[in-house]
Amino acid sequence: MSEFAVHAEGVWKIFNEGAANEVTALSDVSLDVRKGEFVSLIGPSGCGKSTLLRVIADLTSASRGTVEVAGMTPQKAREDHQYGIAFQQAALLDWRTVRRNVELPLELAGWDKAKRRARALELLDMVQLHDFAESRPWELSGGMQQRVAIARSLATDPEILLMDEPFGALDEMTRERMQNELLRIAGATNTSVIFVTHSIPEAVYLSNRVVVMSPRPGRITHVVDVPLGDRNEDTRESDAFFEAVTAVREALRGRAKPVGEGGARLAETS
Amino acid sequence: MKARLNLIWPPILLGALFLLAWQALVVIQDLKPYLLPAPSLIFTTFTSNLNLMVETGIYTATTAALGLVFGTLVGILLAMVAQRFFVFRNLMIPIAAGIAAVPIVALTPILNNMFDITSRTPRVLITAIVVFFPIFVNVYRGLTAVPPVQLELLRSLSATPRTVLRVLRIPNALPFFFTGLKVAAPLAVIAALVAEYFGGPQEGLGSKIAASAANTAYGRAWAYVVVAIIVGLAFYLITLALERVATPWAGRTRSA
Repeated sequence: MSEFAVHAEGVWKIFNEGAANEVTALSDVSLDVRKGEFVSLIGPSGCGKSTLLRVIADLTSASRGTVEVAGMTPQKAREDHQYGIAFQQAALLDWRTVRRNVELPLELAGWDKAKRRARALELLDMVQLHDFAESRPWELSGGMQQRVAIARSLATDPEILLMDEPFGALDEMTRERMQNELLRIAGATNTSVIFVTHSIPEAVYLSNRVVVMSPRPGRITHVVDVPLGDRNEDTRESDAFFEAVTAVREALRGRAKPVGEGGARLAETS
Repeated sequence: MKARLNLIWPPILLGALFLLAWQALVVIQDLKPYLLPAPSLIFTTFTSNLNLMVETGIYTATTAALGLVFGTLVGILLAMVAQRFFVFRNLMIPIAAGIAAVPIVALTPILNNMFDITSRTPRVLITAIVVFFPIFVNVYRGLTAVPPVQLELLRSLSATPRTVLRVLRIPNALPFFFTGLKVAAPLAVIAALVAEYFGGPQEGLGSKIAASAANTAYGRAWAYVVVAIIVGLAFYLITLALERVATPWAGRTRSA
């Protein structure tokens, strides 16, 4: 077994390679995520952060380079249900109850009915939606739907959680509450998380490390360590928090020197 | 409940007023039945020939139902093939459009010649041809118009194409299917009736309307028209009921 939840080295993703409309989405990206670590990917649109997540999830394949997820190829990891994934849209199936939406990954993994049901209810407990188990997804608010999606992504108890702007469509208050819940859940289950976001405070609040990316071509420019310890509501107002926010902001503007080797092999800093 | 009643009364009232105005027009203007028979005449013809009316209605309804089922099955099957096999997709859609453009009126005598003169088969086939297109188009759309994010989710769960069909595409297509069926069901009745109109056994509403009109029995012809409307409405309402049962989640956005 690998010591890393995710290990990516020299990853390139080139769309329409060789054609006139060739686009380099990822250029020589290397990233290691330790087990139990929370890493955010941040950067402007087109910086390849979602593409990197999709390569890790084996929703698309890398053009060049090595990717290991839970010590295996991304394809094997996907087939093994080694990761759970949540998107910006909750992507719930309208014709299933909330409980049966959470059961979906278990159903496809071949769990029997009773075990599935018990596990789904346990997860709905965890996201505090136990009372809504038999509701229909569209009867729930956006934040509640997203909690269902997170419960679903955790269904098979994966080692790794991949999240693509899961709170992007939520209002600020709901968003902060969801962030706390996510940290609580990830901590309780010791899940490694790779979290794509546009929001600097969100990235800083959630992560052990913030990976800053830059477009054309998509690449990692900085990795910012966030040594904030256990988070609570005071964290958001602490000086250390604002310092980290500033560090990430500077990195995004390309003004800061690359910081934080801490476990991450930094790609080039062009 | 009260809100429901408020929905039901206006159309009934409007219908009653319409019939009243019709009756008044015929009586005051002293219109001859071959121009326009009075509703009262149609009604008495209807009630005094009730058994025949019901029998004829059932004959046509059976033809329409057989054609509806057959056309629907073929429509669903071909939509699934078109969705699953890329090669067929570009082939199937023009063919489906071609079938939609078949002039059924002209086709009827040809089919009547191909089969036994007492056979119901040509009528069922014509109905099926008419039914096929709205079903195929809607089901195909329902199977393919799946949110990409849900496809990615299922891919992340390593779902096979068959599983994707079962857990995503088919449920997604159900509301589309019923939209198609709501068009196809009354259309099936009309198609069966038109097919009866153009030869074949002297049974069914189409034949009887033609025969009554030819015999100047205009009251009877109109009474059969009323039966045709009842059968068409029944088909529509049955579809509506099926839809409610089969797609409870789609209730919010359901069309009439």
